[in-house]
Amino acid sequence: MVIREVTSEVIGSVWKIERSVGDAVEEGDLIMILESMKMEIPVEAPVAGTLSEIKVVAEGSVEEDQVLCLIET
Amino acid sequence: MSFDDILEDLKKREDKARLMGGPDRLAKRNTRGIMNARSRIDAFIDPGSWIETGLLAVSSLVPEDQNKTPADGKVAGFGKVSGRQVGVVSNDFTTKGASSSATNMKKIGHVKRVATERGFPLVFFGESSGARMPDNMGAKGMGVNLGHDPQQYVRNRETPWASAALGQCYGSSAWYNCLADFTVMRKGAIMAVASSGLASYAIGQKVEAEDLGGWKLHERITGLVDRVVETDEEAISEIQRFLSYMPSHCKEPPPLASIPAGSETLGENILDILPVSRTRGYDVRKIIKCIADIDSFFEFKPQFGKTISVGLARLGGKTVGFLASNPIAKAGALDVAGCEKATRFTVMCDSFNIPIILLVDTPGFVIGIQGEKEKAPGKIMNFMQALQMCTVPKFSVIMRKTYGQAYLNMGGGRNSDDVVAWPTAEISFMDPHFATEIVTWGQQTNEDVKSDIRTQMEKDNSAYGLAEIYGIQAVISPAETRRYLIDQLDIHQLRYSDGIGEHRMSAWPTTY
Repeated sequence: MVIREVTSEVIGSVWKIERSVGDAVEEGDLIMILESMKMEIPVEAPVAGTLSEIKVVAEGSVEEDQVLCLIET
Repeated sequence: MSFDDILEDLKKREDKARLMGGPDRLAKRNTRGIMNARSRIDAFIDPGSWIETGLLAVSSLVPEDQNKTPADGKVAGFGKVSGRQVGVVSNDFTTKGASSSATNMKKIGHVKRVATERGFPLVFFGESSGARMPDNMGAKGMGVNLGHDPQQYVRNRETPWASAALGQCYGSSAWYNCLADFTVMRKGAIMAVASSGLASYAIGQKVEAEDLGGWKLHERITGLVDRVVETDEEAISEIQRFLSYMPSHCKEPPPLASIPAGSETLGENILDILPVSRTRGYDVRKIIKCIADIDSFFEFKPQFGKTISVGLARLGGKTVGFLASNPIAKAGALDVAGCEKATRFTVMCDSFNIPIILLVDTPGFVIGIQGEKEKAPGKIMNFMQALQMCTVPKFSVIMRKTYGQAYLNMGGGRNSDDVVAWPTAEISFMDPHFATEIVTWGQQTNEDVKSDIRTQMEKDNSAYGLAEIYGIQAVISPAETRRYLIDQLDIHQLRYSDGIGEHRMSAWPTTY
């Protein structure tokens, strides 16, 4: 079992969280959408696995490189 | 003494020199999974191709060091990589920390001179402690050792240079890492002007090596390395891959490669990646991979200046350089780090006859106090000047947004040999939303009026507006991009010079 951290590419806020803890995800699946500089920034699963933890909340702020969620592979 | 004895003596000397700093030191490295100066060379070059120079060289200034300095701590020579000639300098840290000395600097000078004059790449496996002591101490130490080669740190980009940071890199290893066209760093390596020990002592503050020059610093903050890897083996493989795109020297075009099957049809996937909403970001690297030959995109500095993605790739088997706005970061707005990355990459491509492809989706430049403190206007002009000085073919594809000065920086107008837009393109001086706010700034403007102004601002910002005045040469479907660019590469090949550019920036700095 390997835990893969999914990090934010940008400083911004969490607009929508599209998936829940325990969901199985495929590589490229949309997990959440961030908002930064009036742009929606999709956060996609970098690998297939199970979404084991979501570390942010909707409308919360995020920093660049902040861990957003964990995927167990 | 018989000839047999004479030859036996030679063999003994050679064998001893190949032992580097001795079995104990080598074993310790081996236990930690770290290769040594010679195993790195063995892994890098084609088997049986090594021609060493200076095997029997030793310390020349300190008599008691002569028996303790096999090859004088820097293994140098020539080999082949995929059948192509390269020069190599591999630091042997087990011998006096691969410190720079009078003898080994002559060795580096020789390999560098031969590579430059005879036209092949130069590769450094960096791991050195800096200048050797006490050799360099005192006025005579300095006078004897340093400053005899007035071209020692000149980059004229006659041949490609690649470098790896594979341990402590202070002094010359750090310099060569910064002068190279491609630099890879292994996690755990440190690159800095001087060691953390010296820095701590000199400034009286505890300095951690990773903070001073670790991979995170160089990957994300300084951008002085192009890629970060976990192992020595990966670093070696990255350099082999870099060289596969490059010509042996600046007076020949890059080598051709075969075109992987299936490369022609990936363009159909672009519309699955490009969002319908103009305010939705996406990762442009996925689009590059739909345009380039399959698996050919080799990205530089993926974690630095992320608003623009740059890298070498192949199109129809030919080496090209991609510079692509990446809306996944800061909406693709160019920032200082992005400009530095783009400038450096542009200069490298132009110096080695590599055509440039710009993929454009940028709302402009990142504005604000931080950027101005970091000299944003100067950085923007460095990039602009680099683009305008280019003499290799340049092509610009406007995918979506292109605004203001960034339109020029990303190859708009006559800043490319051919500009093409997708029907999704929008071109103007400023994003209509921002323009509306600017012209109504400080006024009590209600939303209805603002909406009218916004509609007016959005007027005629389509690709067709630019096509009608021949500001672009064509509007094409995204799926046609690959074919269009391959045709343009063919049309715009430099026939008068057999593919060789003018290299007007070959002596530009390697850091901006």
